[in-house]
Amino acid sequence: MMRLLRIEIQKLWPNRAFRLLSILYMVAMVIIAVGVMPFLKYLKSRIEDFDVDGVDPTIIPFYEFPDIWQNLTAVAIWFKLLLGFSLIYSITNEFSYRTIRQNVIDGMSKAEFVWSKVILAGFLSLASTLTLFVLGLITGLIYSTEISMSLVFEDVHFLLAFFLQLYAFLLFTLFVGTLIKKAIIAMGVLVFWILAVENGFYVWGQVKNQQWIEYFLPVKSINALVHNPFPKYLLMEVQDFLTFPEFALVLGWGALFFWATTKLVVNRDL
Amino acid sequence: MDTVLKINGLSKRYGKIMALDRLDLEVKRGNVFGILGPNGSGKTTTLGILLEVINQTEGSFEWFGAPSNQNTRKRIGAILEHPIFYPYLTGVQNLKIVCDIKEVPYSRVEECLTQVGLQERKDSKFKTFSLGMKQRLSIASALLCDPEVMILDEPTNGLDPQGIAEIRDLIIDIANSGKTIIIASHLLDEVQKVCTHFCVLRRGKLIHTGLVEDVGKGDIIVEVKADSEKLQDTLTASNMSKDIKRELDKYTLTMNEGFSATDINKYLFDQGITAKHLVVKTKSLEKQFLEILAEQGGGQS
Repeated sequence: MMRLLRIEIQKLWPNRAFRLLSILYMVAMVIIAVGVMPFLKYLKSRIEDFDVDGVDPTIIPFYEFPDIWQNLTAVAIWFKLLLGFSLIYSITNEFSYRTIRQNVIDGMSKAEFVWSKVILAGFLSLASTLTLFVLGLITGLIYSTEISMSLVFEDVHFLLAFFLQLYAFLLFTLFVGTLIKKAIIAMGVLVFWILAVENGFYVWGQVKNQQWIEYFLPVKSINALVHNPFPKYLLMEVQDFLTFPEFALVLGWGALFFWATTKLVVNRDL
Repeated sequence: MDTVLKINGLSKRYGKIMALDRLDLEVKRGNVFGILGPNGSGKTTTLGILLEVINQTEGSFEWFGAPSNQNTRKRIGAILEHPIFYPYLTGVQNLKIVCDIKEVPYSRVEECLTQVGLQERKDSKFKTFSLGMKQRLSIASALLCDPEVMILDEPTNGLDPQGIAEIRDLIIDIANSGKTIIIASHLLDEVQKVCTHFCVLRRGKLIHTGLVEDVGKGDIIVEVKADSEKLQDTLTASNMSKDIKRELDKYTLTMNEGFSATDINKYLFDQGITAKHLVVKTKSLEKQFLEILAEQGGGQS
Protein backbone atom coordinates (compact mmCIF):
# COMPACT_ATOMS: atom_id res chain seq x y z
CA MET A 1 0.00 0.00 0.00
CA MET A 2 2.81 2.42 0.85
CA ARG A 3 4.46 1.42 -2.42
CA LEU A 4 1.34 2.37 -4.41
CA LEU A 5 0.97 5.64 -2.52
CA ARG A 6 4.62 6.45 -3.14
CA ILE A 7 4.12 5.81 -6.85
CA GLU A 8 1.12 8.15 -6.93
CA ILE A 9 2.90 10.92 -5.04
CA GLN A 10 5.89 10.66 -7.37
CA LYS A 11 3.58 10.90 -10.36
CA LEU A 12 1.61 13.86 -9.08
CA TRP A 13 3.65 16.14 -6.91
CA PRO A 14 5.92 17.49 -9.68
CA ASN A 15 2.80 18.25 -11.72
CA ARG A 16 2.04 21.96 -11.66
CA ALA A 17 -1.70 21.69 -12.33
CA PHE A 18 -2.18 19.16 -9.57
CA ARG A 19 -0.14 21.19 -7.12
CA LEU A 20 -2.07 24.34 -7.99
CA LEU A 21 -5.44 22.66 -7.42
CA SER A 22 -4.32 21.13 -4.13
CA ILE A 23 -2.93 24.42 -2.87
CA LEU A 24 -6.10 26.25 -3.92
CA TYR A 25 -8.10 23.69 -1.98
CA MET A 26 -5.96 24.08 1.13
CA VAL A 27 -6.15 27.87 0.91
CA ALA A 28 -9.92 27.66 0.54
CA MET A 29 -10.12 25.51 3.67
CA VAL A 30 -7.99 27.91 5.66
CA ILE A 31 -10.02 30.89 4.48
CA ILE A 32 -13.35 29.40 5.43
CA ALA A 33 -12.08 28.11 8.73
CA VAL A 34 -10.36 31.29 9.78
CA GLY A 35 -12.42 33.77 7.82
CA VAL A 36 -15.81 33.44 9.44
CA MET A 37 -15.02 35.61 12.45
CA PRO A 38 -13.56 38.52 10.47
CA PHE A 39 -16.58 38.24 8.18
CA LEU A 40 -18.97 38.44 11.12
CA LYS A 41 -17.03 41.39 12.49
CA TYR A 42 -17.27 43.09 9.13
CA LEU A 43 -21.02 42.47 9.13
CA LYS A 44 -21.20 43.96 12.60
CA SER A 45 -19.35 47.10 11.53
CA ARG A 46 -21.68 47.54 8.57
CA ILE A 47 -24.71 47.07 10.77
CA GLU A 48 -23.37 49.64 13.22
CA ASP A 49 -23.03 52.04 10.31
CA PHE A 50 -26.75 51.72 9.78
CA ASP A 51 -27.26 52.30 13.48
CA VAL A 52 -29.41 49.25 14.06
CA ASP A 53 -29.27 48.39 17.71
CA GLY A 54 -29.34 45.00 19.31
CA VAL A 55 -28.04 42.97 16.35
CA ASP A 56 -24.54 41.61 16.82
CA PRO A 57 -23.53 38.89 14.35
CA THR A 58 -20.32 38.20 16.26
CA ILE A 59 -22.29 36.52 18.98
CA ILE A 60 -23.17 33.72 16.53
CA PRO A 61 -21.19 30.92 18.14
CA PHE A 62 -19.76 29.48 14.94
CA TYR A 63 -16.52 28.46 16.65
CA GLU A 64 -18.03 27.21 19.87
CA PHE A 65 -16.99 23.68 20.89
CA PRO A 66 -18.49 21.21 20.13
CA ASP A 67 -20.70 22.88 17.47
CA ILE A 68 -17.62 23.94 15.55
CA TRP A 69 -17.15 20.46 14.10
CA GLN A 70 -20.52 20.30 12.41
CA ASN A 71 -20.24 23.95 11.34
CA LEU A 72 -16.80 23.52 9.80
CA THR A 73 -17.48 20.22 8.07
CA ALA A 74 -20.77 21.48 6.67
CA VAL A 75 -18.98 24.44 5.08
CA ALA A 76 -15.73 22.74 4.10
CA ILE A 77 -17.49 20.00 2.12
CA TRP A 78 -18.57 22.58 -0.45
CA PHE A 79 -15.01 22.81 -1.66
CA LYS A 80 -14.76 19.11 -2.45
CA LEU A 81 -15.13 19.85 -6.15
CA LEU A 82 -11.63 21.38 -6.24
CA LEU A 83 -10.18 18.18 -4.86
CA GLY A 84 -12.39 16.17 -7.21
CA PHE A 85 -10.95 18.07 -10.16
CA SER A 86 -7.41 17.29 -9.14
CA LEU A 87 -8.26 13.60 -8.93
CA ILE A 88 -10.00 13.65 -12.32
CA TYR A 89 -6.93 15.36 -13.67
CA SER A 90 -4.75 12.60 -12.26
CA ILE A 91 -6.78 9.71 -13.67
CA THR A 92 -7.54 11.20 -17.10
CA ASN A 93 -3.86 12.06 -17.58
CA GLU A 94 -3.07 8.38 -17.26
CA PHE A 95 -5.41 7.68 -20.13
CA SER A 96 -4.38 10.55 -22.38
CA TYR A 97 -0.66 9.93 -21.88
CA ARG A 98 -1.41 6.17 -22.05
CA THR A 99 0.77 5.75 -19.00
CA ILE A 100 -1.82 3.39 -17.49
CA ARG A 101 -0.89 1.01 -20.29
CA GLN A 102 2.81 1.35 -19.54
CA ASN A 103 2.17 0.90 -15.79
CA VAL A 104 0.43 -2.40 -16.49
CA ILE A 105 3.17 -3.47 -18.91
CA ASP A 106 5.76 -2.65 -16.27
CA GLY A 107 4.11 -4.95 -13.75
CA MET A 108 1.02 -3.47 -12.12
CA SER A 109 -2.18 -5.43 -12.42
CA LYS A 110 -5.16 -3.44 -13.65
CA ALA A 111 -6.87 -3.89 -10.29
CA GLU A 112 -3.72 -2.71 -8.56
CA PHE A 113 -3.73 0.41 -10.73
CA VAL A 114 -7.28 1.28 -9.64
CA TRP A 115 -6.27 0.47 -6.09
CA SER A 116 -3.41 2.98 -6.29
CA LYS A 117 -5.87 5.71 -7.28
CA VAL A 118 -8.24 4.67 -4.52
CA ILE A 119 -5.40 4.91 -2.04
CA LEU A 120 -4.58 8.36 -3.42
CA ALA A 121 -8.20 9.42 -2.91
CA GLY A 122 -8.05 8.11 0.66
CA PHE A 123 -4.81 9.97 1.26
CA LEU A 124 -6.26 13.25 -0.05
CA SER A 125 -9.38 12.81 2.09
CA LEU A 126 -7.31 12.03 5.15
CA ALA A 127 -5.04 15.02 4.58
CA SER A 128 -8.02 17.38 4.26
CA THR A 129 -9.67 15.93 7.33
CA LEU A 130 -6.51 16.36 9.37
CA THR A 131 -6.09 19.92 8.10
CA LEU A 132 -9.66 20.68 9.07
CA PHE A 133 -9.09 19.13 12.49
CA VAL A 134 -6.05 21.31 13.12
CA LEU A 135 -7.81 24.44 11.84
CA GLY A 136 -10.84 23.63 14.01
CA LEU A 137 -8.67 23.17 17.08
CA ILE A 138 -6.84 26.46 16.54
CA THR A 139 -9.88 28.61 15.78
CA GLY A 140 -11.92 26.88 18.44
CA LEU A 141 -9.28 27.48 21.09
CA ILE A 142 -9.13 31.14 20.08
CA TYR A 143 -12.83 31.93 19.90
CA SER A 144 -14.59 29.35 22.05
CA THR A 145 -15.89 30.71 25.32
CA GLU A 146 -15.74 27.44 27.17
CA ILE A 147 -12.94 24.95 26.73
CA SER A 148 -12.61 21.54 28.24
CA MET A 149 -11.35 18.20 26.97
CA SER A 150 -14.81 16.68 26.77
CA LEU A 151 -16.33 19.67 24.98
CA VAL A 152 -13.53 19.85 22.44
CA PHE A 153 -13.85 16.23 21.40
CA GLU A 154 -17.58 15.77 21.94
CA ASP A 155 -18.73 16.01 18.33
CA VAL A 156 -15.44 15.21 16.71
CA HIS A 157 -17.06 12.29 14.88
CA PHE A 158 -18.29 14.86 12.37
CA LEU A 159 -14.74 14.78 11.07
CA LEU A 160 -15.12 11.07 10.42
CA ALA A 161 -18.28 11.86 8.48
CA PHE A 162 -16.40 14.56 6.59
CA PHE A 163 -13.68 12.07 5.71
CA LEU A 164 -16.24 9.59 4.47
CA GLN A 165 -18.11 12.23 2.47
CA LEU A 166 -14.94 13.36 0.78
CA TYR A 167 -13.74 9.81 0.12
CA ALA A 168 -17.05 8.71 -1.38
CA PHE A 169 -17.17 11.83 -3.53
CA LEU A 170 -13.59 11.29 -4.74
CA LEU A 171 -14.44 7.70 -5.65
CA PHE A 172 -17.34 9.10 -7.66
CA THR A 173 -15.02 11.48 -9.53
CA LEU A 174 -12.59 8.62 -10.06
CA PHE A 175 -15.39 6.66 -11.70
CA VAL A 176 -16.41 9.62 -13.89
CA GLY A 177 -12.79 10.20 -14.91
CA THR A 178 -12.27 6.53 -15.77
CA LEU A 179 -15.50 6.36 -17.72
CA ILE A 180 -14.88 9.49 -19.79
CA LYS A 181 -11.07 9.55 -20.00
CA LYS A 182 -10.88 13.18 -21.20
CA ALA A 183 -10.12 15.71 -18.44
CA ILE A 184 -12.18 18.67 -19.66
CA ILE A 185 -15.19 16.60 -20.65
CA ALA A 186 -15.09 14.64 -17.40
CA MET A 187 -14.97 17.84 -15.34
CA GLY A 188 -17.84 19.28 -17.41
CA VAL A 189 -19.91 16.14 -16.97
CA LEU A 190 -19.20 16.16 -13.24
CA VAL A 191 -20.39 19.74 -12.82
CA PHE A 192 -23.37 19.15 -15.09
CA TRP A 193 -24.31 16.04 -13.14
CA ILE A 194 -24.12 17.79 -9.77
CA LEU A 195 -25.84 21.02 -10.79
CA ALA A 196 -28.35 19.95 -13.42
CA VAL A 197 -29.05 16.22 -13.19
CA GLU A 198 -29.09 15.75 -9.42
CA ASN A 199 -30.81 19.04 -8.68
CA GLY A 200 -33.31 18.34 -11.43
CA PHE A 201 -34.24 14.96 -9.97
CA TYR A 202 -34.18 16.40 -6.48
CA VAL A 203 -36.63 19.18 -7.31
CA TRP A 204 -38.81 16.73 -9.23
CA GLY A 205 -38.79 14.47 -6.16
CA GLN A 206 -39.81 17.37 -3.91
CA VAL A 207 -42.59 18.52 -6.24
CA LYS A 208 -44.02 15.03 -6.79
CA ASN A 209 -43.48 14.20 -3.15
CA GLN A 210 -41.17 11.31 -4.09
CA GLN A 211 -38.41 11.90 -1.52
CA TRP A 212 -36.93 8.44 -2.05
CA ILE A 213 -35.33 9.67 -5.27
CA GLU A 214 -32.73 11.43 -3.14
CA TYR A 215 -31.18 8.13 -2.14
CA PHE A 216 -30.43 7.35 -5.78
CA LEU A 217 -28.51 10.58 -6.27
CA PRO A 218 -24.94 9.90 -5.12
CA VAL A 219 -23.79 13.46 -4.54
CA LYS A 220 -27.03 14.44 -2.77
CA SER A 221 -26.71 11.38 -0.54
CA ILE A 222 -23.12 12.29 0.24
CA ASN A 223 -24.00 15.92 1.01
CA ALA A 224 -26.91 14.86 3.20
CA LEU A 225 -24.70 13.01 5.68
CA VAL A 226 -23.86 16.18 7.61
CA HIS A 227 -26.99 18.27 7.95
CA ASN A 228 -26.82 22.03 7.52
CA PRO A 229 -26.43 23.35 11.10
CA PHE A 230 -26.95 27.04 10.45
CA PRO A 231 -30.76 27.29 10.66
CA LYS A 232 -30.33 26.61 14.37
CA TYR A 233 -28.89 30.07 14.83
CA LEU A 234 -32.28 31.29 13.64
CA LEU A 235 -33.73 29.09 16.36
CA MET A 236 -34.90 26.38 13.96
CA GLU A 237 -34.55 22.72 14.74
CA VAL A 238 -31.73 20.89 12.93
CA GLN A 239 -30.37 17.39 13.05
CA ASP A 240 -27.11 17.81 14.94
CA PHE A 241 -26.09 14.16 14.90
CA LEU A 242 -25.26 11.47 12.35
CA THR A 243 -27.63 8.62 11.59
CA PHE A 244 -26.52 5.14 10.72
CA PRO A 245 -28.67 4.71 7.54
CA GLU A 246 -27.26 7.92 6.09
CA PHE A 247 -23.76 6.82 7.00
CA ALA A 248 -24.30 3.38 5.45
CA LEU A 249 -25.72 4.94 2.29
CA VAL A 250 -22.57 7.02 1.73
CA LEU A 251 -20.44 3.98 2.45
CA GLY A 252 -22.50 2.03 -0.08
CA TRP A 253 -22.03 4.66 -2.79
CA GLY A 254 -18.27 4.67 -2.18
CA ALA A 255 -18.08 0.89 -2.45
CA LEU A 256 -20.22 0.91 -5.60
CA PHE A 257 -17.97 3.41 -7.39
CA PHE A 258 -14.86 1.52 -6.33
CA TRP A 259 -16.30 -1.68 -7.72
CA ALA A 260 -17.53 -0.04 -10.94
CA THR A 261 -14.17 1.66 -11.59
CA THR A 262 -12.29 -1.61 -11.14
CA LYS A 263 -14.74 -3.36 -13.45
CA LEU A 264 -14.29 -0.66 -16.11
CA VAL A 265 -10.51 -0.81 -16.08
CA VAL A 266 -10.18 -4.60 -15.89
CA ASN A 267 -12.51 -5.21 -18.82
CA ARG A 268 -11.05 -2.48 -20.98
CA ASP A 269 -8.30 -2.95 -23.58
CA LEU A 270 -5.71 -0.35 -22.70
CA MET B 1 16.51 -25.53 -23.65
CA ASP B 2 13.66 -24.40 -21.48
CA THR B 3 10.66 -22.60 -22.80
CA VAL B 4 10.22 -18.95 -21.90
CA LEU B 5 6.95 -18.35 -23.65
CA LYS B 6 4.29 -20.71 -24.89
CA ILE B 7 1.18 -19.51 -26.70
CA ASN B 8 -1.81 -21.78 -27.25
CA GLY B 9 -4.57 -20.90 -29.70
CA LEU B 10 -4.61 -17.21 -28.89
CA SER B 11 -7.39 -15.21 -30.59
CA LYS B 12 -8.58 -11.64 -30.41
CA ARG B 13 -11.73 -10.39 -32.08
CA TYR B 14 -12.64 -6.73 -32.54
CA GLY B 15 -16.24 -6.90 -33.62
CA LYS B 16 -16.16 -8.63 -37.02
CA ILE B 17 -12.42 -8.41 -37.41
CA MET B 18 -10.20 -11.26 -36.25
CA ALA B 19 -7.11 -9.33 -35.19
CA LEU B 20 -5.49 -12.57 -34.09
CA ASP B 21 -6.57 -16.02 -35.19
CA ARG B 22 -5.60 -19.06 -33.08
CA LEU B 23 -1.92 -18.27 -32.72
CA ASP B 24 0.46 -20.97 -31.46
CA LEU B 25 4.03 -20.07 -30.75
CA GLU B 26 6.95 -21.08 -28.57
CA VAL B 27 10.02 -19.07 -27.62
CA LYS B 28 13.01 -20.74 -25.96
CA ARG B 29 15.47 -19.18 -23.56
CA GLY B 30 18.22 -17.26 -25.34
CA ASN B 31 16.30 -16.85 -28.58
CA VAL B 32 16.19 -13.52 -30.30
CA PHE B 33 12.79 -13.93 -31.81
CA GLY B 34 11.49 -11.65 -34.55
CA ILE B 35 7.79 -11.32 -35.22
CA LEU B 36 7.33 -10.09 -38.78
CA GLY B 37 4.26 -8.93 -40.55
CA PRO B 38 2.79 -6.06 -42.50
CA ASN B 39 1.13 -3.22 -40.60
CA GLY B 40 -2.07 -4.41 -38.99
CA SER B 41 -1.14 -8.09 -39.05
CA GLY B 42 -1.56 -8.52 -35.30
CA LYS B 43 1.98 -8.05 -33.98
CA THR B 44 1.15 -5.39 -31.41
CA THR B 45 -2.11 -7.10 -30.50
CA THR B 46 -0.17 -10.28 -29.72
CA LEU B 47 2.35 -8.46 -27.56
CA GLY B 48 -0.46 -6.48 -25.88
CA ILE B 49 -2.18 -9.72 -24.88
CA LEU B 50 1.09 -11.25 -23.66
CA LEU B 51 1.55 -8.20 -21.42
CA GLU B 52 -2.08 -8.22 -20.32
CA VAL B 53 -3.06 -4.77 -21.47
CA ILE B 54 -5.39 -6.36 -24.02
CA ASN B 55 -7.85 -9.06 -23.03
CA GLN B 56 -7.81 -12.05 -25.37
CA THR B 57 -11.05 -13.45 -26.77
CA GLU B 58 -9.81 -17.03 -26.60
CA GLY B 59 -6.71 -19.06 -25.91
CA SER B 60 -3.99 -18.94 -23.31
CA PHE B 61 -0.30 -18.33 -22.86
CA GLU B 62 2.36 -19.18 -20.32
CA TRP B 63 5.43 -17.24 -19.26
CA PHE B 64 8.25 -19.28 -17.72
CA GLY B 65 6.01 -22.35 -17.68
CA ALA B 66 3.24 -20.86 -15.55
CA PRO B 67 0.13 -18.78 -16.16
CA SER B 68 1.01 -15.11 -16.04
CA ASN B 69 0.31 -12.54 -13.33
CA GLN B 70 1.66 -9.08 -12.59
CA ASN B 71 4.74 -10.51 -10.89
CA THR B 72 5.69 -12.26 -14.13
CA ARG B 73 5.72 -8.88 -15.84
CA LYS B 74 8.17 -7.59 -13.26
CA ARG B 75 10.69 -10.01 -14.78
CA ILE B 76 10.01 -8.75 -18.30
CA GLY B 77 11.24 -5.51 -19.82
CA ALA B 78 8.85 -4.32 -22.47
CA ILE B 79 8.26 -1.41 -24.80
CA LEU B 80 5.12 -1.38 -26.89
CA GLU B 81 4.86 1.05 -29.80
CA HIS B 82 6.27 4.50 -29.04
CA PRO B 83 7.91 5.32 -25.69
CA ILE B 84 5.33 6.20 -23.02
CA PHE B 85 6.34 8.30 -20.02
CA TYR B 86 4.99 11.17 -17.94
CA PRO B 87 5.95 14.18 -20.10
CA TYR B 88 6.21 16.61 -17.17
CA LEU B 89 8.64 14.39 -15.23
CA THR B 90 12.38 14.13 -15.82
CA GLY B 91 14.08 11.00 -17.07
CA VAL B 92 15.17 10.04 -13.58
CA GLN B 93 11.75 10.72 -12.02
CA ASN B 94 10.11 8.57 -14.68
CA LEU B 95 12.50 5.69 -14.13
CA LYS B 96 12.03 5.85 -10.36
CA ILE B 97 8.32 5.27 -10.83
CA VAL B 98 9.11 2.21 -12.94
CA CYS B 99 11.50 1.06 -10.18
CA ASP B 100 8.67 1.28 -7.66
CA ILE B 101 6.31 -0.60 -9.95
CA LYS B 102 8.85 -3.33 -10.62
CA GLU B 103 10.09 -3.31 -7.03
CA VAL B 104 13.77 -2.82 -7.86
CA PRO B 105 16.11 -0.44 -5.99
CA TYR B 106 16.59 3.14 -7.28
CA SER B 107 20.30 2.44 -7.70
CA ARG B 108 19.46 0.71 -10.99
CA VAL B 109 18.35 4.04 -12.49
CA GLU B 110 21.87 5.43 -12.85
CA GLU B 111 23.27 2.14 -14.16
CA CYS B 112 20.65 1.85 -16.87
CA LEU B 113 20.90 5.50 -17.88
CA THR B 114 24.64 5.03 -18.29
CA GLN B 115 24.11 1.87 -20.30
CA VAL B 116 21.94 3.66 -22.87
CA GLY B 117 24.08 6.81 -22.80
CA LEU B 118 21.50 9.19 -21.41
CA GLN B 119 23.47 10.50 -18.41
CA GLU B 120 23.73 14.08 -19.62
CA ARG B 121 20.03 14.65 -20.07
CA LYS B 122 18.71 12.57 -17.19
CA ASP B 123 17.35 15.62 -15.32
CA SER B 124 15.57 17.13 -18.33
CA LYS B 125 11.85 16.71 -18.66
CA PHE B 126 10.75 13.86 -20.88
CA LYS B 127 8.82 16.18 -23.19
CA THR B 128 12.05 17.98 -24.15
CA PHE B 129 13.68 14.73 -25.35
CA SER B 130 14.29 13.98 -29.02
CA LEU B 131 12.75 10.82 -30.42
CA GLY B 132 16.06 8.97 -30.19
CA MET B 133 16.45 9.95 -26.55
CA LYS B 134 12.88 8.89 -25.77
CA GLN B 135 13.57 5.53 -27.39
CA ARG B 136 16.75 5.15 -25.37
CA LEU B 137 14.94 6.07 -22.15
CA SER B 138 12.38 3.38 -22.81
CA ILE B 139 15.13 0.83 -23.35
CA ALA B 140 16.70 1.97 -20.08
CA SER B 141 13.32 1.52 -18.42
CA ALA B 142 13.02 -1.99 -19.87
CA LEU B 143 16.48 -2.81 -18.54
CA LEU B 144 15.75 -1.63 -14.97
CA CYS B 145 14.67 -5.00 -13.63
CA ASP B 146 17.56 -6.82 -15.34
CA PRO B 147 14.88 -8.67 -17.30
CA GLU B 148 14.98 -12.30 -18.32
CA VAL B 149 12.98 -11.40 -21.40
CA MET B 150 12.86 -8.18 -23.37
CA ILE B 151 9.95 -7.33 -25.62
CA LEU B 152 10.53 -4.62 -28.20
CA ASP B 153 7.88 -3.37 -30.58
CA GLU B 154 9.30 -1.51 -33.58
CA PRO B 155 12.31 -0.34 -31.54
CA THR B 156 13.82 1.72 -34.35
CA ASN B 157 10.62 3.27 -35.64
CA GLY B 158 11.08 6.89 -36.65
CA LEU B 159 14.78 7.07 -35.81
CA ASP B 160 17.46 8.51 -38.08
CA PRO B 161 20.08 6.11 -39.53
CA GLN B 162 22.54 6.86 -36.75
CA GLY B 163 19.86 6.29 -34.11
CA ILE B 164 18.86 3.03 -35.76
CA ALA B 165 22.47 1.83 -35.74
CA GLU B 166 22.85 2.78 -32.05
CA ILE B 167 19.67 1.01 -30.99
CA ARG B 168 20.65 -2.02 -33.05
CA ASP B 169 24.05 -2.21 -31.36
CA LEU B 170 22.33 -1.91 -28.01
CA ILE B 171 19.98 -4.79 -28.86
CA ILE B 172 22.87 -6.96 -30.03
CA ASP B 173 24.73 -6.16 -26.78
CA ILE B 174 21.70 -7.19 -24.76
CA ALA B 175 21.24 -10.35 -26.82
CA ASN B 176 24.90 -11.26 -26.33
CA SER B 177 24.41 -11.08 -22.57
CA GLY B 178 22.15 -14.11 -22.94
CA LYS B 179 18.76 -12.48 -22.58
CA THR B 180 15.75 -13.67 -24.52
CA ILE B 181 14.47 -10.94 -26.82
CA ILE B 182 11.20 -10.76 -28.73
CA ILE B 183 11.11 -8.10 -31.43
CA ALA B 184 8.10 -7.16 -33.50
CA SER B 185 8.97 -5.32 -36.65
CA HIS B 186 8.11 -4.69 -40.23
CA LEU B 187 11.72 -3.77 -40.92
CA LEU B 188 13.06 -7.03 -42.29
CA ASP B 189 16.61 -5.89 -42.53
CA GLU B 190 16.54 -5.17 -38.81
CA VAL B 191 15.22 -8.62 -37.93
CA GLN B 192 17.75 -10.31 -40.19
CA LYS B 193 20.59 -8.43 -38.52
CA VAL B 194 19.71 -9.18 -34.90
CA CYS B 195 17.38 -12.21 -34.72
CA THR B 196 18.01 -15.93 -34.50
CA HIS B 197 14.41 -17.03 -35.07
CA PHE B 198 11.50 -15.42 -36.83
CA CYS B 199 7.85 -15.92 -37.58
CA VAL B 200 5.54 -14.22 -40.03
CA LEU B 201 2.03 -13.05 -39.23
CA ARG B 202 -0.54 -12.04 -41.78
CA ARG B 203 -4.05 -10.85 -40.96
CA GLY B 204 -3.75 -12.37 -37.52
CA LYS B 205 -2.65 -15.78 -38.75
CA LEU B 206 0.75 -17.39 -38.26
CA ILE B 207 1.97 -18.31 -41.73
CA HIS B 208 5.61 -19.18 -41.16
CA THR B 209 8.14 -19.80 -38.43
CA GLY B 210 11.80 -20.71 -38.83
CA LEU B 211 15.43 -19.91 -38.27
CA VAL B 212 16.92 -16.73 -39.68
CA GLU B 213 20.09 -18.60 -40.70
CA ASP B 214 18.00 -20.87 -42.96
CA VAL B 215 16.81 -17.89 -44.95
CA GLY B 216 19.81 -17.68 -47.27
CA LYS B 217 19.50 -21.33 -48.33
CA GLY B 218 17.98 -22.29 -51.66
CA ASP B 219 18.58 -21.01 -55.17
CA ILE B 220 21.73 -19.11 -56.05
CA ILE B 221 21.12 -15.61 -57.38
CA VAL B 222 23.67 -13.94 -59.62
CA GLU B 223 23.70 -10.34 -60.83
CA VAL B 224 25.43 -9.62 -64.14
CA LYS B 225 26.31 -6.40 -65.96
CA ALA B 226 28.25 -6.12 -69.22
CA ASP B 227 28.69 -3.65 -72.07
CA SER B 228 27.24 -5.85 -74.74
CA GLU B 229 24.11 -5.62 -76.87
CA LYS B 230 23.60 -9.35 -77.00
CA LEU B 231 24.01 -9.95 -73.26
CA GLN B 232 20.38 -10.91 -72.72
CA ASP B 233 20.32 -13.30 -75.68
CA THR B 234 23.57 -14.89 -74.56
CA LEU B 235 22.32 -15.35 -71.01
CA THR B 236 19.10 -16.91 -72.24
CA ALA B 237 20.97 -19.18 -74.62
CA SER B 238 23.24 -20.43 -71.83
CA ASN B 239 20.32 -22.35 -70.25
CA MET B 240 22.01 -22.10 -66.89
CA SER B 241 19.26 -20.12 -65.19
CA LYS B 242 15.57 -20.71 -64.77
CA ASP B 243 14.74 -17.02 -64.47
CA ILE B 244 16.24 -13.83 -65.85
CA LYS B 245 15.11 -10.42 -64.66
CA ARG B 246 16.27 -7.12 -66.10
CA GLU B 247 16.67 -3.94 -64.08
CA LEU B 248 18.09 -1.21 -66.36
CA ASP B 249 21.44 -2.66 -67.46
CA LYS B 250 21.58 -5.24 -64.70
CA TYR B 251 20.40 -8.83 -65.15
CA THR B 252 19.45 -10.94 -62.17
CA LEU B 253 19.64 -14.69 -62.73
CA THR B 254 18.16 -17.40 -60.59
CA MET B 255 20.55 -20.24 -61.32
CA ASN B 256 19.57 -23.79 -62.22
CA GLU B 257 20.85 -26.47 -59.92
CA GLY B 258 24.50 -27.37 -60.55
CA PHE B 259 25.45 -24.02 -62.00
CA SER B 260 27.31 -21.28 -60.22
CA ALA B 261 28.64 -17.79 -60.89
CA THR B 262 31.89 -19.34 -62.18
CA ASP B 263 30.02 -21.19 -64.91
CA ILE B 264 28.17 -18.13 -66.12
CA ASN B 265 31.37 -16.07 -66.10
CA LYS B 266 33.22 -18.65 -68.14
CA TYR B 267 30.34 -19.04 -70.59
CA LEU B 268 30.11 -15.29 -71.18
CA PHE B 269 33.87 -15.03 -71.68
CA ASP B 270 33.77 -17.86 -74.21
CA GLN B 271 31.04 -15.98 -76.07
CA GLY B 272 33.27 -12.89 -76.19
CA ILE B 273 31.54 -10.90 -73.48
CA THR B 274 33.41 -9.57 -70.45
CA ALA B 275 31.28 -9.06 -67.41
CA LYS B 276 31.96 -5.78 -65.61
CA HIS B 277 29.81 -6.70 -62.63
CA LEU B 278 29.23 -10.19 -61.29
CA VAL B 279 27.80 -10.65 -57.81
CA VAL B 280 26.43 -13.67 -55.99
CA LYS B 281 23.50 -12.61 -53.83
CA THR B 282 22.32 -14.47 -50.81
CA LYS B 283 18.60 -14.33 -50.52
CA SER B 284 17.54 -11.66 -48.08
CA LEU B 285 14.85 -12.05 -45.48
CA GLU B 286 12.96 -9.41 -47.37
CA LYS B 287 12.79 -11.61 -50.45
CA GLN B 288 11.81 -14.63 -48.41
CA PHE B 289 9.20 -12.62 -46.54
CA LEU B 290 7.63 -11.36 -49.74
CA GLU B 291 7.67 -14.89 -51.15
CA ILE B 292 5.93 -16.26 -48.05
CA LEU B 293 3.31 -13.54 -48.21
CA ALA B 294 2.79 -14.12 -51.94
CA GLU B 295 2.46 -17.90 -51.51
CA GLN B 296 -0.07 -17.52 -48.73
CA GLY B 297 -1.90 -14.73 -50.47
CA GLY B 298 -2.22 -16.87 -53.60
CA GLY B 299 -3.42 -19.84 -51.61
CA GLN B 300 -6.00 -17.86 -49.67
CA SER B 301 -7.73 -15.42 -51.94
